[in-house]
Amino acid sequence: MLEYILRRLLISIPLLLGISVVAFIIIQLPPGDFATAYQQYLINQANMSPQEAEKAANEYRKIYGLDQPVPIQYLRWIKGIVTEGKFGYSFAYKQDVAQLIAERLPRTLFLALAAHLISTLVGIIIGIYSATHKYSLGDTFATVFAFIGTAAPRFFLAIVIVYYLVIQVKYPYVNRFVSPQYAFAPMSWEKFLDILKYSWPVIAIAGFGGVARNMRVMRANLLDVLNSQYVTTARSKGVRESLVVYKHAVPNALHPIIMYQGTVLPYMLQGELEAAIVLNMPSLAPMFYSSLVNQDIYVSGGFLFIYSVLLVVGNLIADIMLSVLDPRIRLGQ
Amino acid sequence: MTEQTSMLENRRIHPEEHESYFNLVWRKFRKSRIAIVGGLIVLALAVMAIFSSFFSPYDPVKLNMRSGFTPPSRIHFTDINGRFYGRPFVYQWKQVVDENMYMHWVEDTSTLYFVNFFVQGWEYKWLGLFPTRLHLYGVAEPGTIYILGTDKFGRDIFGRMCLAGRISLAMSLFGTFISVAVGSVLGVISGYYGGRFDNYLQRFVEFVQSFPQLPLWMALAAVIPSTWDQMAVFIAMSTIFALLSWTLLAREIRGKVMAMRETDFVLAAREMGASDMRIIFYHLYPNTLSHTIVVLTLTIPSIILAESFLSFLGIGIQEPLVSWGVMMREAQTIQTLGFNQWIIAPVLFILLAVLGFNFLGDGLRDAADPYTIT
Repeated sequence: MLEYILRRLLISIPLLLGISVVAFIIIQLPPGDFATAYQQYLINQANMSPQEAEKAANEYRKIYGLDQPVPIQYLRWIKGIVTEGKFGYSFAYKQDVAQLIAERLPRTLFLALAAHLISTLVGIIIGIYSATHKYSLGDTFATVFAFIGTAAPRFFLAIVIVYYLVIQVKYPYVNRFVSPQYAFAPMSWEKFLDILKYSWPVIAIAGFGGVARNMRVMRANLLDVLNSQYVTTARSKGVRESLVVYKHAVPNALHPIIMYQGTVLPYMLQGELEAAIVLNMPSLAPMFYSSLVNQDIYVSGGFLFIYSVLLVVGNLIADIMLSVLDPRIRLGQ
Repeated sequence: MTEQTSMLENRRIHPEEHESYFNLVWRKFRKSRIAIVGGLIVLALAVMAIFSSFFSPYDPVKLNMRSGFTPPSRIHFTDINGRFYGRPFVYQWKQVVDENMYMHWVEDTSTLYFVNFFVQGWEYKWLGLFPTRLHLYGVAEPGTIYILGTDKFGRDIFGRMCLAGRISLAMSLFGTFISVAVGSVLGVISGYYGGRFDNYLQRFVEFVQSFPQLPLWMALAAVIPSTWDQMAVFIAMSTIFALLSWTLLAREIRGKVMAMRETDFVLAAREMGASDMRIIFYHLYPNTLSHTIVVLTLTIPSIILAESFLSFLGIGIQEPLVSWGVMMREAQTIQTLGFNQWIIAPVLFILLAVLGFNFLGDGLRDAADPYTIT
């Protein structure tokens, strides 16, 4: 087992290197750089003459190494990540990207994992209900709900929630992650509740699609399992129906849900991304979006890289979990 | 061998007894009511997109600032005095200022305008070919009818939704088409030849799959310069969506081809001297088609959703190109949405399109394999 994990980690290194190269190339693609924007700013806002502004911009480029050829810039960037844990300098936020990531990554992880957990639990419960009450009113309702959950754009759900909260009920807990008085307080029960007050819309939206997916998978599987012979045997033995469902059928129907845990994490991260941008929740997402618009390249590149790392790690964890839960699956295949 | 020849002869003698694969698929597909509904939804959206000018009573790109943010026209059958008319009519909206100096929209009930069907309106070219003025509905001048209201620039939202369907649907179809073409060709080749190429390709697929889809799409779409012309932006965006979507299909088709490579009918073909190209395109590829179609109908909605989100954020597709996501951009400012809720109407078409393709895909998945009896 340990050997397998080590091997997977070793394979991830060239993978992540490749990802970092692609991320860096993408953020270098647009014409101009942050210094160009800085130059425009100097001309328009500070009333500098174009020549002077260009000089200032060139100096700016020199300080931050933007005048170097792209491969050199890349090597510097990756060297900073590996040796000093620095992800480059954010021009817009005037600090190292690693600090921004350190501040915001836990929030993103919290939101995505909370959405993941809730969607799995709720999805399984609704799925069990639907399968045991096939074609009932509740089942039909759940099916319709699942279809809406997979079809509705999450940014639209976010808009609806923002509209309802801000315009209709004048809900005060928006646009932040935690109230100012708790900002520097150590983690406590009150702080956690305060965070929930701000973050429940993001969690709900990111989780909604997941609920729908899990529910559909659970329903289909449980229906299959309930038709199998050993369930009929259990019933004919006179086992109580609730025992048949929860002890015999449900554990076997859970496998596919566990199997695709690895693919659910990116789905949750994307849901968090969409919801957090619209709701302006200060996690990684809105900063990633604004950095793309402002060409704050090290932020875009660093965040893109972090998202990829999360994905790689998530897949690894999912594979390990699966092998622990189902010994029939051989590792390394 | 003798059995095969006798089967062939049978086929020649009774051609009418043999049903083609697509006939069988259609027979099974027809039975699934939800798939038919999905197909009809998609068809309706496509028709509205292709003939968008016919469905929009006003020019969807002409600015008309004076009627900006007009609420949706209410369709009435009875007037304020309770008199019943046998046909639908609308009142005009007018703005009044109340005692708190707030602007309000109220219906001007002094004149009513009957909704007419197949009326003459603004001139356009039918399918870009024949100039015509025919529109599905409209009201007499100076009345106006906006069944879903107008946007900031006073353009009819329903008409623009139909127009936007062209970009939204065409882009998802085009992107899916690219990804299906790349995915199936690479999948078939990789599965058929195996060996080193297969190994390299599988590592590459894993590499591509380890990218986070949405963030990478956002980063790539942000790269497209706003100075590019519309066609270039369209193609670039479709390619970006295709870039990360082909891997799933490539993997699945590879698996299928690998299993089929060793079957008797491929061996027979090879023994008879068929070239690799012939085996791939004549024998193997058609057998993966059912799979391809299913993946196709499931990729399209995911691209529609991603495209609408990117356009909503303002990266990628931009005005004057109009897609469903672009139309919802104004809703980003919550104050604008607070006063004009109807501007998020395009989500209706997004929902319909995604649901339609999902239903269609579900139905096709069952129908694609018509030989099993359930």
